[in-house]
Amino acid sequence: MPMPAAPLWRSRTTRSLLLQGGFALALLAAIVAATLTARANLSAQGMTSGFDFLWTSTGWEMNFTLLPAAPTDPYWWFLLLGLLNTLLMGLIGLGGASVIGLIVGLMRSGRNPAARFLATLYIELFRNLPLILQLFFWYALANALPNPRAALDLGPALLSSRGIYLPGLAVPYGAAIVIAAILLLGLALAIRVLAARRFARMEPVPRRVLALSLVLLAILASAAIALATHPPGTGWLSLPQPRGLRIDGGIRVQPEFACLAIAIMTYGGAYVGEIVRGGFKAVGRGQLEAARALGLSPWQVFSRVRLPLAFRAMLPILINQYVWLIKATTLGIAVGFSDFFMVIASSITHSGQTLELIGILMGGFLVVNFSLAAVLNRLNRAIALKGHNTGGAA
Amino acid sequence: MDLTAPAIAIRDLNKFYGTFHALCGLSLTVRKGERVVVCGPSGSGKSTMIRCINQLEEHDSGEIRVFGTLLDDNLASIDAVRREVGMVFQHFNLFPHMTVLENCTLAPILVRKTPRAVAEALALKFLEKVRILDQASKFPGQLSGGQQQRVAIARALCMQPEILLFDEPTSALDPEMIAEVLDVMVTLANEGMTMICVTHEMGFARKVADRVIFMDKGEIVEEAAPAAFFEAPRNERTRLFLSEVLAH
Amino acid sequence: MTALPAAPALTPPARRFRRLRRDYFGSPASALMTLASLGILLGLGWWLMNWALLDATFSAAATQAECVQAGGACWSVIAARWRVILFGIYPYDEQWRPSFACAVVAGIILLSCLPRMWSFRRLALTWGLGAAGFYILMRGGILGLSVVNEQQWGGLPLTLFIFVATAVAGMPLAILLALMRRSELPVVARVTGWIIDTIRSLPLLSILFTFAIVVPFMLPGFLIGEKLYRVICGAALFFAAYQAEIIRGGFQGIPRGQDEAAKALGLPYWQRMSRVLLPQAFRLALPATINQFVVAFMETSLVVVVGFIDLLAAGNTAYKTGEWKFAYVEVYAFVAAIYFLFVFGLSRYGAYLEARMNAGHRKE
Ligand SMILES: Nc1ncnc2c1ncn2[C@@H]1O[C@H](COP(=O)(O)OP(=O)(O)OP(=O)(O)O)[C@@H](O)[C@H]1O
Ligand SMILES: [Mg+2]
Repeated sequence: MPMPAAPLWRSRTTRSLLLQGGFALALLAAIVAATLTARANLSAQGMTSGFDFLWTSTGWEMNFTLLPAAPTDPYWWFLLLGLLNTLLMGLIGLGGASVIGLIVGLMRSGRNPAARFLATLYIELFRNLPLILQLFFWYALANALPNPRAALDLGPALLSSRGIYLPGLAVPYGAAIVIAAILLLGLALAIRVLAARRFARMEPVPRRVLALSLVLLAILASAAIALATHPPGTGWLSLPQPRGLRIDGGIRVQPEFACLAIAIMTYGGAYVGEIVRGGFKAVGRGQLEAARALGLSPWQVFSRVRLPLAFRAMLPILINQYVWLIKATTLGIAVGFSDFFMVIASSITHSGQTLELIGILMGGFLVVNFSLAAVLNRLNRAIALKGHNTGGAA
Repeated sequence: MDLTAPAIAIRDLNKFYGTFHALCGLSLTVRKGERVVVCGPSGSGKSTMIRCINQLEEHDSGEIRVFGTLLDDNLASIDAVRREVGMVFQHFNLFPHMTVLENCTLAPILVRKTPRAVAEALALKFLEKVRILDQASKFPGQLSGGQQQRVAIARALCMQPEILLFDEPTSALDPEMIAEVLDVMVTLANEGMTMICVTHEMGFARKVADRVIFMDKGEIVEEAAPAAFFEAPRNERTRLFLSEVLAH
Repeated sequence: MTALPAAPALTPPARRFRRLRRDYFGSPASALMTLASLGILLGLGWWLMNWALLDATFSAAATQAECVQAGGACWSVIAARWRVILFGIYPYDEQWRPSFACAVVAGIILLSCLPRMWSFRRLALTWGLGAAGFYILMRGGILGLSVVNEQQWGGLPLTLFIFVATAVAGMPLAILLALMRRSELPVVARVTGWIIDTIRSLPLLSILFTFAIVVPFMLPGFLIGEKLYRVICGAALFFAAYQAEIIRGGFQGIPRGQDEAAKALGLPYWQRMSRVLLPQAFRLALPATINQFVVAFMETSLVVVVGFIDLLAAGNTAYKTGEWKFAYVEVYAFVAAIYFLFVFGLSRYGAYLEARMNAGHRKE
């Protein structure tokens, strides 16, 4: 049957072009209109726009920084320090949540009913209460601790309403950071040697020797740095000592920092625990039976077959959870820990450069979260089961 | 392990799933070098029986001896038996996160403490034997069903077991793949491997079995050489089963 | 073969005992774990019983000294302050209205859990009517109810209102976003993808903050509206970005043949979506959706940071003012119990549905 030529508006190509053009135009118009309104509103209040304020000094102080900061420092330095704080909190929170999650997840998927019940109790309690409620609770608890004069003595550590005081190595602060970095690097390299496919063809014994020597090397380097920078004639350990209304020596962990870290670790641990359990549940019974039939010991079945397969099953969900946990560090503002978001909020109050700062905030989180997801997705692709169609996480 | 004792000696074996009596006082003796084919209707306890032999299932009473080693609560004897008894599963159960070669070398290296180079040479030998040498560096997910099953056989062989157990090794496969797996199994049988094979491939049974066993409702109902089993089954249930299986 | 002594047959109770022994004391590590776990459980239980019940003070008239002397929980703070915690600064004489409003919300949540309510029309009707009823009760101004402004709302009803409004506004938006991301028009699909991914990688707190404080700059005066509604818009946007991905996951679980069959039957786009694909996608995405609701409910508590007196903030004010400073544990326990009731109930229900769906699948 001959069809008459379709009129222009009924043709598939035109319609698709029109729809897409309309969509793009509408979006663009909304953005332009919002920007123009914002411009007009701001100039009515006598504000200048632009990023010049980043180089002016702030005039206020941050209550927690990894590197030195003073009120005379410019905004960009404060923002950078805030971002560092967020990354540190994210690292500690993610690490702690993963450890707790692995433990409770294993307890929940094990055979022992008593352990299973305990882990279930933990997961249900911490997962079903809002994180900010838990944070407030920990913070109220920390504030109710005795003052430094009557600090609780936990062996080498002290606990008071001014924070947790831990014993520390008596070296300058900069050296301590370098030592921590070297130790982390050594450990990471060792894990890579033990785990990465590239080294899989080495015999187990030389592989372990290589990994061990990497760790030893890192320890030796750290010791050398400590020796070089340690102020002579003083003790090697700096122990916290109550001195009247203050506590001297040791490392002070701010209550705000400690509470946020504890809240993120315990809350995240409950979620990670569920993910770990799901991962173990997803491992086929057949593979485990085959491993047992080959005569592998229970530990070998676990470490060679069960754990690697479970890890592959949980990684995509874990990635989303990790991104979520990084975002949860913004709760620092609720108790006054200077994370990235809190620095941004303070900067907005003090400088009034609202739009610019919100832009920086979004940009910062986009970069952090997209890089985290990108790294983990790469790992996911690298270990994905070959020949199975499993999609990565967003 | 006493290699002069019967390969497998099962006496009065009972197994319950909850209250369900899956194996009812089953007894069976298999000599070294013997090839036994087990058949029977679905749910008759064939899998349960051979899974008891390497203790993937714990039995409730009765005794199982493998080359004289009694399987009881003693974990050491279970380990010893698993080293000597290989198993091939219906669904292959290859480890999807390891290459074919790693699948084959895993247990020799970890359990038998074979040096890696030796284990790899051995694995390549057996992979060649199951005619799949060219796939050694692939992952299981990249192979066809028949290829995967042949890898699974090679994996079991790499432990150089005295006995091989097969649980319906061909029933998850397409017809054209069944032949390639059966070929490998016939080769093994002809080399004198002790085998217990649950299968409904009656042609295979006729060709290689020394003995065919028919199970129903957790019991061994009939036990005979293949010729007698197929030509003159004595039991009514066997006859019914054979007519159904052979009708296809 | 020589005659071997037969192993004694085990009776069922003996088997059960053996299994128990294996599970609890199968290896030294397991035994240690059993003892440690039981120790922790019993210790916690014992302490909790003493603290919360046996040594606790319940009277609303008790003072701090009396509470401290009793040694246990001081529930007096709840007895004295429960109205503040539940209703914030809502006018005291009118507090029957928020009570009813809460009941309405509980009602619509319970109703939506019944499978017979699971059609678009019924759900939309229930939630639309429920939200309207809630609003009228709370805000007043008609039917002889006095007007109570949004600034005076607080406590549990505010938490529930934010949750319901977020869901009611977020769900349609989520469907729209999911459909746009799956669109055959590349520009639409790509740009929507960017938008969704961007929102998902931002913290909810920063979005709430932006909507509360920054957005007014960008809108013409007549669109600015009440801060509460702007914050709800932000929460809904965030909810929609997550829920859209969940729906998209549901779409991916539908066999391709479904869409093709619907196309072959000549169904136009909207009917294909609304009659064939969306119902299946929602079915597949149901457990994840319920989980998302649970998370959204917990995240309403973030509005504390932008200055609303929701349930959590009302709890804070209840103990931070005056003589109850020492009783923070009791107040948080009370608030936590309310959150737990909602969240745990909803997530158990989700788990039940998931199990039911899985069972259904296995039968097929
Ligand atoms: N883990 C289990 N729990 C409960 N019952 C089981 C379990 N495994 C098997 N059974 C039951 O035990 C009986 C025997 O099962 P088995 O798997 O040995 O049968 P089979 O002969 O191998 O059947 P098929 O030919 O279908 O594989 C069946 O009725 C089955 O329902
Ligand atoms: Mg079977």
